[in-house]
Amino acid sequence: MSNTYTCREARLEIGGDPHTLGPALSEHLATCAACTRFRSETLALDARLRSAMELPLAGFRKPVQSAPPARRFALAASVLLGILVGGGFWLLKPTPALAGDVLAHVKHESASWDAHEVLTPSELAGVLKTAGVQFDSSMPIVYAMACPFRGRRVPHLVVQTADGPVTVMLLAHEKVSGRQEFSEGAYRGILLPAGEGSVAVLARDGKIPEAVAAKMLSDVRW
Amino acid sequence: MNPRPRGTTVSSAFARLLETLRPDLVRFAFWLARDRAVAEDVVQETLIRAWKSRDELKDSAAARPWLLTIVRREHARLYERKRLPTVDVDQVEALGDPALASDGDAGLEDLRRAILQLPDEYREPLVLQVLGGLSTAEIAVELKLTQPAVLTRLFRARNRLRTIYGLDPAEDAE
Repeated sequence: MSNTYTCREARLEIGGDPHTLGPALSEHLATCAACTRFRSETLALDARLRSAMELPLAGFRKPVQSAPPARRFALAASVLLGILVGGGFWLLKPTPALAGDVLAHVKHESASWDAHEVLTPSELAGVLKTAGVQFDSSMPIVYAMACPFRGRRVPHLVVQTADGPVTVMLLAHEKVSGRQEFSEGAYRGILLPAGEGSVAVLARDGKIPEAVAAKMLSDVRW
Repeated sequence: MNPRPRGTTVSSAFARLLETLRPDLVRFAFWLARDRAVAEDVVQETLIRAWKSRDELKDSAAARPWLLTIVRREHARLYERKRLPTVDVDQVEALGDPALASDGDAGLEDLRRAILQLPDEYREPLVLQVLGGLSTAEIAVELKLTQPAVLTRLFRARNRLRTIYGLDPAEDAE
């Protein structure tokens, strides 16, 4: 254990942001089992916090009252959004599994499946830069968002293919030991190891998007 | 999704962006206000303001923090405009809100109640980090605090919740 970095400092840093490991904290954790356990506990707590904060939104909307003319267009937009978003599908059961979290996130942003316009390279670059990921692909990406996922920002992409839209999440900090297939209802996905991280690829048409997964795997750099 | 450089397409892309992020705005407003009706008012005002100011958002990757900032401002403005009373922790109406219930997971419900009972100075940065995905540096800017101050508040927030989760609290200089 380092003499200059105490357990108290380590726990303050972990308690402040359990997902980020600075050099001093990493060095400390390498020799301190108690702080390593503290971090594991805090990460588990954070997964529960995330589930707790993702409240079911059914019943949250209220009817929009009459409004001044200047606001009508904007209010109409918000009403439309409310209708589109709808209620009742927000209660996500907590699961420690990475695949479960991917599925939950994709359902959470279900509107992403409806995107059709191909993004320009500069638009995609903005999202990748925010998430700290490099990615070269000629595939038509129609949706890109740097989403909060397990305490980090990760690129959430949707690729348009001949078989329909395919979701890709580039998980630079989520290591998996090998290929893992997962499914729920019509969703079929795979998690693939990619260097120190992984790539999640998910489709809704009942087929595992192998070709997209292979292409993504060859294109991503952490 | 990133805004497109064309009139109606820009509007539809922006509407879709709001549509995608709205659920988290409602949740954030709820955790901030601890009141369902206030949260709905805040999000409605936020969407109106965001729509009017959509040209200011140059990079859609920054949409989430940008919208969360608007939610915070609208929340503060609502209290100022309507002169809403500040709510005592023991009288938080949201403690009885059905949204806190969970299907057979009593621990999750307890955790939700515990989050609601955190003081504002701990609850707000925690929700910004866990739900909003903001980094401690971004939270520091948002709350006009130093980064060490943010880390301390987040540490204390989690420390209070550890006991609800069945863990021993860490030593604190509180």
